[in-house]
Amino acid sequence: MKRKNKKEKIISYSLARKQYLRKIKKDKILVLFWQIAIFVLFLGIWQLLADFNVIDPFFFSSPSRIVTTIIDLAKDGNLWIHIWTSLYETIIGFVIATILGVLIAVLLWWSEKLRRIMEPYLIILNSLPKIALGPMIIFWVGSGTGATIVMCVLICIVITTISMLNAFISCDNDKILLMKSMHANKFQILFKLILPNALPEFVSVLKINVGMSWVGTIMGEYLSSKAGLGYLINYGSQVLKLDIVMASITLLCILAAGMYLIVSPLEKKYKR
Amino acid sequence: MKNLLEFKNVKYFYQTKESEINALEDVTFSIKERDFTSIVGPSGCGKTTILSLTAGLLVPTEGEIILDGKPIEKNDSRIGYMFQRDHLFEWRTIWQNIILGLELQKKHKDPEKLAFAEELLKKYDLYNFKNKKPRQLSGGMRQRVALIRTLVLEPALLLLDEPFSALDFQTRLKVCDDVYDIIKSEQKTALLVTHDISEALSMSDRIIILTKRPARVKDIVDISFQGATPLGKREDTEFGKYFEMIWRNLV
Repeated sequence: MKRKNKKEKIISYSLARKQYLRKIKKDKILVLFWQIAIFVLFLGIWQLLADFNVIDPFFFSSPSRIVTTIIDLAKDGNLWIHIWTSLYETIIGFVIATILGVLIAVLLWWSEKLRRIMEPYLIILNSLPKIALGPMIIFWVGSGTGATIVMCVLICIVITTISMLNAFISCDNDKILLMKSMHANKFQILFKLILPNALPEFVSVLKINVGMSWVGTIMGEYLSSKAGLGYLINYGSQVLKLDIVMASITLLCILAAGMYLIVSPLEKKYKR
Repeated sequence: MKNLLEFKNVKYFYQTKESEINALEDVTFSIKERDFTSIVGPSGCGKTTILSLTAGLLVPTEGEIILDGKPIEKNDSRIGYMFQRDHLFEWRTIWQNIILGLELQKKHKDPEKLAFAEELLKKYDLYNFKNKKPRQLSGGMRQRVALIRTLVLEPALLLLDEPFSALDFQTRLKVCDDVYDIIKSEQKTALLVTHDISEALSMSDRIIILTKRPARVKDIVDISFQGATPLGKREDTEFGKYFEMIWRNLV
């Protein structure tokens, strides 16, 4: 009798487990379904509204017009130059800002005095809208790719420095004492404790910088440029070819998402 | 046995923005080689300060601290320090954690030291976990790894700063036994600070009782039990008597 009870218990348990697993799977499918459905519905309704002239396709464009515009741009070969320019500016800006930002954060971690001296300047730089420096940047480095990269770096670097510095400082003090009690010097504390300890935070910063560096690039290209997706958007709006604007934005979405997808596996690997 | 550690009229003042805090007022005691000594005292009485001074992380305002005939240096490498939490580095494997100290002292290529580290791992049943990450180990095992990490450096004196306080009670008793066992079989001298009288009683040969801040030595009690393990000692009839005596001394 007792044994039978036990068996029933196991069955009822595994049934609950089965239901639980089924529910998880169902939820997952449901989420995916709606993600796709919203995409399709959005494009479909947009297309229909444009086709029946409910919205003016001149101002609102339409999915089909975007696709034809992209194909046209690709045919005359300029599209690749624009994509390449933006991508190149973004990646260079992203890399420079990340490396410099981390280096500055290390310096500020190293010297508490320097950190205290620099604190108000960091706060000002962080709250300053970097775009305001745009005209000055053009005077300093000239218009074009250089100016865009500088803008991109300016937008990313302050937040990188502040986030990384916070991660460095928040390291458990007992861990530092442990290192000291084992006779570690400051370099060893930095390389064997502070930096590896801040790795999860570094990955978050990379993710934020993917977004921010695109903001920087587009801003920079709006200001002054001869090529790039930001240039294309600006050009399209000036000659009233809004299809070009929408096509550029679509490409921008794809590129930014692509860069995000490259960075995000790092998060799974290093998040605790 | 000769004295390994001597505190001679040690004073220590903490400086804060608001004021100067008198943490230790004239602390004098000595610890014999291979003894297990505990320091108990009211909370905030400067127990951890004594450990930090002994490890050379702080410098006494007055007085001297002598280890094995020589004064304590800054971050003295003759000292092994165990903290309240194990502080294993999550990004390192158990093995990498254990040889951290060797790495810092550039001895991680010394085959003798590495062999010693392996031997300790094998002896204390952690060899199979060598390549695991800390998060895959239980709290008790992690604390054992932390102890081995210190022992690998062959310190003359082990400092234990409430090393069991982060563990739940069941694990705590077990780890207490393990750590005691390891320290005794490696013939180490140990200095434990704790606010837990039973813990101090179950592990120590001697207990130093401090007054409240500014701390002075109030009493030094020699402990002897029939029982061999900390758990065994807890069951000894003398245990209660000692406990009461120390408790009275504390309040």
